[in-house]
Amino acid sequence: MGKFVYGRDLLHRFEGNPIVALEDIPFRCNTVFNGTPVKKDGVYYLLIRVEGQKGYSYFALAKSGDGFHFEVEDEPVMIPAETGEFAKYEKRGIEDPRITEIDGEYFVMYTAYSQYGARIALAKTEDFYNYERLALVSEPGNKDGILFPERINGEYVRLDRPIGANVGRMWVSFSKNLYDWGKSELLMSPRPRLWDSYRIGASVPPIKTNKGWLEIYHGVKMTSSGPIYRIGVVMLDLKDPTKIAHRAEEPILSPREDYERIGDVGNVVFACGAVVEDNDTIKVYYGGADTHLCVATMGYAELVDFASGTTLPD
Amino acid sequence: MKRKHKYQHKDVARRWEGNPVITLNDLPFRCSDICNAAAVKFNGEFLLLLTIEHLVGRKSLHLAKSLDGYHFSVEAEPLIAPSERPAFKSYEEQGVLDPKIVFLEGTFYISYTAASASGFRLALARTEDFTSVERLGFISEPDSKGGLLFPEKINGRYAKLEMPADGSSIWISYSDDLAYWGGFDVVMSPREGFWDFHKIGPAAPPFRMDDGKWLLLYYGVKRTSAGGLSRLGAAFLDGDDPSKVVSRTNIPILAPRKNYERVGDSPNTIFTCGAILEKEQLTVYYGASKGCVCIGSCSVNDIIDNCVASEKEF
Repeated sequence: MGKFVYGRDLLHRFEGNPIVALEDIPFRCNTVFNGTPVKKDGVYYLLIRVEGQKGYSYFALAKSGDGFHFEVEDEPVMIPAETGEFAKYEKRGIEDPRITEIDGEYFVMYTAYSQYGARIALAKTEDFYNYERLALVSEPGNKDGILFPERINGEYVRLDRPIGANVGRMWVSFSKNLYDWGKSELLMSPRPRLWDSYRIGASVPPIKTNKGWLEIYHGVKMTSSGPIYRIGVVMLDLKDPTKIAHRAEEPILSPREDYERIGDVGNVVFACGAVVEDNDTIKVYYGGADTHLCVATMGYAELVDFASGTTLPD
Repeated sequence: MKRKHKYQHKDVARRWEGNPVITLNDLPFRCSDICNAAAVKFNGEFLLLLTIEHLVGRKSLHLAKSLDGYHFSVEAEPLIAPSERPAFKSYEEQGVLDPKIVFLEGTFYISYTAASASGFRLALARTEDFTSVERLGFISEPDSKGGLLFPEKINGRYAKLEMPADGSSIWISYSDDLAYWGGFDVVMSPREGFWDFHKIGPAAPPFRMDDGKWLLLYYGVKRTSAGGLSRLGAAFLDGDDPSKVVSRTNIPILAPRKNYERVGDSPNTIFTCGAILEKEQLTVYYGASKGCVCIGSCSVNDIIDNCVASEKEF
């Protein structure tokens, strides 16, 4: 028995993890991992990335009444486009969806992958079962696109992760219509010495708090036996999201459990969404080892304090 | 010694016998490299905007002027140097390079590549007189190079071509205001086994032909064990929808052969940023091995004759 009951991470893992594993999928597939949640009228909808046996990814839908116990629908809800302008850019699959609600509408930003590279695509849904593709909104070499939940200074804003000089950094872009994007700026870079020294990217749609935009992001450290993906937090300026108010030096979750260390891509925890609950807690949904879907929780105010630098971790 | 074959050259384009046109000895300052140049006629003069790599390693853009198009004098002060203004500085700290000039709606627009630790991205500026330049801003995320504008709107929208690093293809995109860009689509890609096997990018701004089609000069790279071989090719794009390739030369129109093209800081490199079309005759100003600027010329018919159907583009 260990001496400390607290655990080693700020986020507390749900004891029933993983919440969705291969055995919970009603159709044959290779792995299930990153998922983005929406809580609507008391129902948790979780759009999850499934990698099929053929090797490319698509999306399935899981539903839950409590946010912990999910049922997966019998058929995938979104598969790579087979016709039209999206087909040639989704040939190698669709990956890592993030749902953002803006003015009562649900937008999904996801990665479209093809021989032309990874790009960010945008779709819309009303019922989480049917998806209307709107546009491919980035150049190739870009992924982890995430919309802010409201317009800032009249413009839509997105975070993304273009590869520049072979380094993955987080950038911000703006749009008046969701189709044409510009005014791109570098937001933050990997930090030498720290846990996010190799690559970083946005993970969870930004959450508006009284201390700024809370962004839960992923950071990668490269080791001689491969990368380690962890989850960290940064607070962005409310009025100007190109400015960092505070960036925590420690991650809030690191791979430790077997379902995070063992899988197709070991040593990975990778969040794609979170739900802030009325009882002042937050549920963060994340993929473990690119093979399991998991959830971890903590006090919401505690996380906001930590992200804004108000408190130090013990 | 008398040669067996009567052909004086093996390329579609003919070299000017006075090549190279501008060498390090023609500059009123010391520098490392002369890389390549945009070309335009202005008030009866031929203007080249040269990419100069200075001894400290940073690149800036210098004007060269000529009355006959063959004999140039280079200005000592750069027309565009890496900016010290806060909005630009961090993206141009390693230099500005590869300018392309188009005359559009009564103004000269200069697109160029900005280099920094965050990678390469496209910037846009404009000038009326080639004395003062107004920077408009950045029009891509990283890593994207070789960007250029079409000299007229396409179906009511501005259009640009560029080479995002991922996929090494030529892409097109559109904008209503030159600031926000969308509709990104692949125009053409490297061809397996061809001279343009590994990478292609747009070189000189397209020319509108009498039949409406666009003539695009592009560069293609084949990698060898000793490095890249960079050559020039040409393609005709559909007049109404330049995302469609009508035909494409299956051989390069100019390949490194002369010593001044084979020997230098970037050996075996022919790279152009600008050409002038007069009376069906194309004069290409090209950089050779990053050491000098040269002239090659050919007729539009020479190019059409060498546009042999190769592989299907999609």
